[in-house]
Amino acid sequence: MTTVTPPPGTPPPGIPPPGTPAPGTPPPSTTKPAPAVPTVPTAGARTSRARELVVGMFSGTPGHMRLLGAIAIVACLAFGVVSFQAATGLRSDIGDARAHADQLVRVQAIRTNLVQADANATNAFLVGGLEPAAARDAYTTGIATTARTIAEAAGAEPDDATALERVNRVVTTYTGLIESARANNRQGFPVGAAYLRQASRIVRDDALPTLERLVAVEQQRVDDATAAGDTAPTVLVVMLILTFIALFVPQVYLYARTRRTFNPPLVAATGIVVVVGLVALATMTWSRAQTDDAIEGPYRKTVALATARIGAFDAKSAEALTLIARGSGAAYEERFQAVSTDAQNATGAGFADRATTEALAEYLAQHREVRALDDGGAYDDAVALATGDGAANEAFRTFERVSSAALAEQSRDLTDDLGRAATPLLPVAWLLLAAGVAAAALAWRGMAQRLREYR
Amino acid sequence: MRTRRISVIVGGLVVLALFASACDDSNSDSGRADRTTTTTTTAPTAPAVDCGNPVASFAPLDPMPPPGEMPAGSYMAEIQRRGRLVAGVSADTLLFGYRNPVTGQLEGFDIDLVREVAQAIFGDPNRVEYKVVTYAQRIPALVDGSVDIVANVMTVNCERWQEISFSSQYFDAGKKILVRTDSPVTSITELDGKRVCAAAGSTSFDNLQQYTEVITVPVEATSDCMVLFQQGTVDAVTGDDTVLAGFVAQDPYAKIVGPAMTSEPYGLGVAKTHPEFVSFVNGVLEDLRADGTWAQMYSRWLRPTGAAPAPPVAVYGRAQ
Repeated sequence: MTTVTPPPGTPPPGIPPPGTPAPGTPPPSTTKPAPAVPTVPTAGARTSRARELVVGMFSGTPGHMRLLGAIAIVACLAFGVVSFQAATGLRSDIGDARAHADQLVRVQAIRTNLVQADANATNAFLVGGLEPAAARDAYTTGIATTARTIAEAAGAEPDDATALERVNRVVTTYTGLIESARANNRQGFPVGAAYLRQASRIVRDDALPTLERLVAVEQQRVDDATAAGDTAPTVLVVMLILTFIALFVPQVYLYARTRRTFNPPLVAATGIVVVVGLVALATMTWSRAQTDDAIEGPYRKTVALATARIGAFDAKSAEALTLIARGSGAAYEERFQAVSTDAQNATGAGFADRATTEALAEYLAQHREVRALDDGGAYDDAVALATGDGAANEAFRTFERVSSAALAEQSRDLTDDLGRAATPLLPVAWLLLAAGVAAAALAWRGMAQRLREYR
Repeated sequence: MRTRRISVIVGGLVVLALFASACDDSNSDSGRADRTTTTTTTAPTAPAVDCGNPVASFAPLDPMPPPGEMPAGSYMAEIQRRGRLVAGVSADTLLFGYRNPVTGQLEGFDIDLVREVAQAIFGDPNRVEYKVVTYAQRIPALVDGSVDIVANVMTVNCERWQEISFSSQYFDAGKKILVRTDSPVTSITELDGKRVCAAAGSTSFDNLQQYTEVITVPVEATSDCMVLFQQGTVDAVTGDDTVLAGFVAQDPYAKIVGPAMTSEPYGLGVAKTHPEFVSFVNGVLEDLRADGTWAQMYSRWLRPTGAAPAPPVAVYGRAQ
């Protein structure tokens, strides 16, 4: 190598051949090119000159004024940018809460539709004979709604897609089993009942637990999004205080050093920042309050109503299964008690409207009557009460209708309230940004006026 | 169409049943005894219990009390006071005890038997409260008193005599296997490594345990076996020929194969504490055999055309 590129005794201050260490040169010269060595004092001189310039620039009264002015301008710009981000961040947090709440409503709707379809199928089976056209329509509509809601939910939150795909598979299998049950029933084959049982089982074992996990995840997401909104007003307050100090200190300095009491541009900058900042703070506080109200009100009510409906439908199919089991249905009756207690607890905490709570209580009273008849040996009377125009079935239908209307109203309110909470935040964010820029411009102008007096 | 199919299948079943009963106490019986020995050696969960002739029951009540006048202090009097007979039955065994999907009512051979018992107590066959019990629930339901009588294709055997009492034998069934129509299998011994379904708590399930190479798939109700069979999850179903005949009647792609692996004499189950009720039920069964009702029931459920075979001969002599 050394023979290929014979180096001169001392490398020229130009560009040394890279990667070819000159013999006798100290090791540092391999990493640092040789010409760097003579420039070191030059660079040091340059740095000290720059430092002198800066020190000169910011020393003495005009220097202090320049420094304070620069801080004020930077503070105003930072105020604009940071508070803009805080406001848009809050807006997107509320938007997230709304999106997750909507997703929660969708997932609950899928759950409700599935337990409802199951309750209808078991009840139709209990009656025997051809199922009424209305019942068949209700089932078909229920399954179509389920399929559509699953597609919507998977599109809305791709994170949930895997779980929803699993649910979709179960629904496909479920409908196949129900059709088998129907075909067998229609031919008078009792094996239809076994298909129905299996259909009911896969919904309960495979689909519902997956959906319950999704509900828990969505509830957590709603809570997280709501909690994330807490930081925005704090950020705004901190920025407001810092910017106010950054604008106020130069005014005090100028008051002390010049004969003028007020610097109008700086006063205007302070005014803009304080007024816009307080307006923004008020808006954010209002948005937060609106969000909290929506969470404590329509959101909790939506969750409670959906839970109550799922529990009630589950209870209704447990009631039918208890009757189908004819005396060996103790396990189903236990399930009835468990899920109906869930439903009652959901409506009990004051989250459900009075009509829904009363309708549920009425159905549960009728159910006790069904059980009393069946346990007393009056099986046919119990079935009559629990199906068709029987009082227990009518009571359940009333609950279904009332709770459905209440749920629709609450989920609409939830979406509306959260939408309203987020609406003013975007204009406020732009206002904050504009205020920051305007205040920075005024601060520059105010300081420039005073500095001119020193030329 | 369906009725004809049932009749053809059940006809075949009856021929086999007749064959089995014709060969009673001869070679085929010793063959079954061998099987029983195999069971006891390979299945430690089912120890052999000697109770003499398992189908021997208590002597029938003679004379029978007229309906509505049950002797004081007897269990029948208690049932009469209650106003209804509580019977544990099946709801998914076509032909014996099943829920007719069209009417929603329970029907079948076993159901008719229960109605005859109610008729004898009350003079009204409708005074019955049905409780649907799975195979595994049959004995516990009798022991805890939640049913008065079990009429659910229940095999009489010595293990069960330890816990409950049986009426005299009212049907003679045998254990067979159900496979797809295109299957070359003719016997359980050809099902090694295959999945075979049986209801838990049934003699079919116990019987299957001796075939250690067979993969047993237990289910709660026998009709669940049929669902698994139709879905291709199991390769075969084992059960009494009577029950399997009900499956074949619902599925043209299923057939019953093989010689009867065991003899399954059916009896009505009654709690051990009520021997007088067993005697009463035996009296009812005696009348059914004598007056041709048994033959009518048989024809109605198991053989819509042609004559019914003679009912199984009742054996008595068990000490109460």
